[in-house]
Amino acid sequence: MSVEAIGTPMRASLRSRLRLEHFVMGGAVLCLIVLVVLPVLSLLLGSIRGEQGLSLDNFSEVISGRLYVSALKNSLVLGAWTGIFSLIIGVSLAWAVSRTDVPFKPLIQLTASLSYLSPPFLTAIAFVYLFSPNAGLINVLMRDVLDLPFLTFNVFSMPGLVLVTVMHTFPFVYLLASSALLSVDASYEEAAQILGASKFRTALTITAPLVAPAILSGTLLAFVNAIALFGSQAILGLPGRIVTLPTRIYALFDYPPEYGLASALSLLFIVITVVALYLQRAFLARRSYVTLAGKGARPQLMSLGPVRWAVFGFVVVTFIVAIILPYSTLLAVSFSKSWGLDFWKGLTFANYKFILFEYNVTQRAILNSLGLATVAATIAVLLGAIISWIDVRTKIPGRKLLDYAALIPLGLPGIVVAVALIQFWLAMPLALYGTLTILLLAYVGRYVPLGVRAANSSLRQIDPSLEESAQILGASWLTTMREITLPLIRPGLFAGWLLVFVPVVQELSASILLFSSSSITLAVAVYNLYETGYIEPVAALAIINMIIIGLAILVANKLGGGRIASRSGTAQGLAS
Amino acid sequence: MASITIKGLTKTFAAGDTTAAAVSDLNLDIKDNQFVTLLGPSGCGKTTTLRMIAGYITPDAGTIHVNGRQLSSAGDVVPPDQRGMGMVFQNYAVWPHKTVYENVVFGLKIRKTPSAEAKKKVFDALALVNLGGLEQRYPSELSGGQQQRVALARSLVVEPEILLLDEPLSNLDAKLREHMRTELKQLQRRTGITFVYVTHDQAEALALSDQVAVIHGGRLQHYGTPYDVYSRPANRVVADFMGLVNLLPAKVTSVHNGTGTIEAPGGLKLEVPLPANIGAGDSVEASIRPENVRLRPAGNGTQATVSERSFLGNISEYYVSLDSGPTLRVQTHPAQILAIGDKVTVEIDATQCSVFRTNP
Repeated sequence: MSVEAIGTPMRASLRSRLRLEHFVMGGAVLCLIVLVVLPVLSLLLGSIRGEQGLSLDNFSEVISGRLYVSALKNSLVLGAWTGIFSLIIGVSLAWAVSRTDVPFKPLIQLTASLSYLSPPFLTAIAFVYLFSPNAGLINVLMRDVLDLPFLTFNVFSMPGLVLVTVMHTFPFVYLLASSALLSVDASYEEAAQILGASKFRTALTITAPLVAPAILSGTLLAFVNAIALFGSQAILGLPGRIVTLPTRIYALFDYPPEYGLASALSLLFIVITVVALYLQRAFLARRSYVTLAGKGARPQLMSLGPVRWAVFGFVVVTFIVAIILPYSTLLAVSFSKSWGLDFWKGLTFANYKFILFEYNVTQRAILNSLGLATVAATIAVLLGAIISWIDVRTKIPGRKLLDYAALIPLGLPGIVVAVALIQFWLAMPLALYGTLTILLLAYVGRYVPLGVRAANSSLRQIDPSLEESAQILGASWLTTMREITLPLIRPGLFAGWLLVFVPVVQELSASILLFSSSSITLAVAVYNLYETGYIEPVAALAIINMIIIGLAILVANKLGGGRIASRSGTAQGLAS
Repeated sequence: MASITIKGLTKTFAAGDTTAAAVSDLNLDIKDNQFVTLLGPSGCGKTTTLRMIAGYITPDAGTIHVNGRQLSSAGDVVPPDQRGMGMVFQNYAVWPHKTVYENVVFGLKIRKTPSAEAKKKVFDALALVNLGGLEQRYPSELSGGQQQRVALARSLVVEPEILLLDEPLSNLDAKLREHMRTELKQLQRRTGITFVYVTHDQAEALALSDQVAVIHGGRLQHYGTPYDVYSRPANRVVADFMGLVNLLPAKVTSVHNGTGTIEAPGGLKLEVPLPANIGAGDSVEASIRPENVRLRPAGNGTQATVSERSFLGNISEYYVSLDSGPTLRVQTHPAQILAIGDKVTVEIDATQCSVFRTNP
């Protein structure tokens, strides 16, 4: 084909094709590249840049140095134990809800939702008040008052860390397992029983294989989330000299910062997370043979007899340990003059007064967190809407790649996002380090997958002809979006907005490396105050933190129709 | 008002590793003020063609001109929002978050019609489709037929020169479909808009159209009036698609003056109209519609035996085995009652037969 032959139509096509939508789509792609792709690439670059030229020294140090190997080992041990206990608790509760006549089932749902939503670093602080080896209230009670020293528990230990982490991660298994159990058509089980299989045998040979992929997938999600939590691992692990990957990376930023090692260790961290998430997706993909019609006969509930009260007891214990104990402790500490066995003798509002009006960080932190969460959620959702529109509605080559790029952050623990952003923006002429902007970039980058997913599932429910019919009537792309598409996917986008807003308000893992005194956030303020040793005021700030989160969730549930709790099971990599 | 000229239109879709031609080298001349149907089985390329006329799909080759102005070619497509056409979708695509009024007024708002005038036009359009009084309803409060009318009113209110309809009646029940068919036809006559109508229902195509374009395998098979397409199908694919047909293999024995004699194996001889490209000695297939065969009490002529019968109410249908071999499907007046095994004489109206050359 000669150049002349294609010359004219090419120019004509540029005129008619370069319209507003192409600039908007190009802008979204650019955002994604700046937010996610370039920081991850600079992580790679930073890890292999040695003193002179490129070198793999950082990697050899990371996989052989004692400090790093032990951090890796501790993270894996923590992840494994957390996974196992999440599996046991999650499956038991899911089975109780969907297959037995255990009483007060809403309590189980409530326990799972609240456990998932409550920030683990607050639970960790609460457990320190109760179980720190010397001053923990229950330890003191057991050892000094009741003289039962064998009943003391040191929370600065791997078991303590696992306990606090499991409280946050078992809902992943619970939510996936219970939805899988509910979706298994009862006729499968009835068919086995009519052929003579006992209930036990049916459960073992029919039900278990059908729901196993969902359970394994939930367990892997629990694992990935457990090892990414910076707050609890710093609060409980460091005093007990249990250093994990996030806390080791954090330590590498002590003066002088070791950017190369931090990058290499972050990449190692990413590899672990990505492998686990890959397995999780593979398991979940195998779920396809479970009938998800939702119309099948409901399974007959197993009558547990008196045993159901034992199962109910287990639920109540979980609820107390995961919710009541930590929050009533925080509440009690926040009102005490001095935390100890006789704390109730000196109840006071002084801590709240100090935190709210005298400690000059609090108000700034609250404003920063609420502002950042609002803006980050809005951007993440709008960006997600454009990216998924490209994926669902256009035939642009490479759109699948874009979709994958938007999923990358799922494999990035919060602290790794922070390391990547620092690496990238330090090399840029813009001085973003320590500003609210870099925190915003971190939050949007981390949570953009949630925005994409929310928009994607809503868009797929909208028939393209609804947009096409506006177009043929003369509506431009912008008009079609404003008049047709956005109003139709608004409920889905709103749910996605809240799914981003709530975790951003309590984000700690990435913020801890990115904040400055002017851009400090709520979670960082709590952590810093705790580190400085203000015992009682910390609890007051924690309670204020919880009130803000609680209000956000309340508003969310009111406006979003209770979607937060039911959707949280699919929201991977959420909390800090 | 508006004529459409399609030349050499081709579109190939990639499906996995293979590519399938949805439309290949399609030529079509749609005249002003006509009701034209694109007819064919599902997957034949008719909807792809319609969507290329609308501008949703860019052709791989070929052009589409409207009133002499080129709108589509491989490199350059005027987007749908700048074509000024109307389109009615198979699923209606009535916006669920807008009332009937808001749905219909949408196109007028885009055109910046003054609101008083727009209001009048909306009410007129709704009256035209018999939906007066339902302006404030939401689509979820309407029946399928009513939603269909909203979609129609929405397309008509902007007074397009061309209205594209993609199987608009396929989701309605049989009775309503019949009713809407008549209304559509009247609407087209009253408005003078050029209608391009996609359907897989040959009865619908015959009833509605000025011209029918039969498409099969992405290619235009026959373009003509309903009578032409039904009675003088261009090839056996068209004959087969346009209704029940008996296809008999035969040989041309002699040709004279536009007609010829063909002989089927077993000795059945027919004097049929012959296309010019068929000569003596050619192997052909004769297509005989069941209604062009009459059954008489046994007498002189082609002898046959009734082998199967079904009473269908308005007609009776019989299968008769000719003594010379082949079996014919026959439709008769319902009052003609025959029993299986009855001997009959078969009369074939050979002037209504079509003959196609068999590929050697």
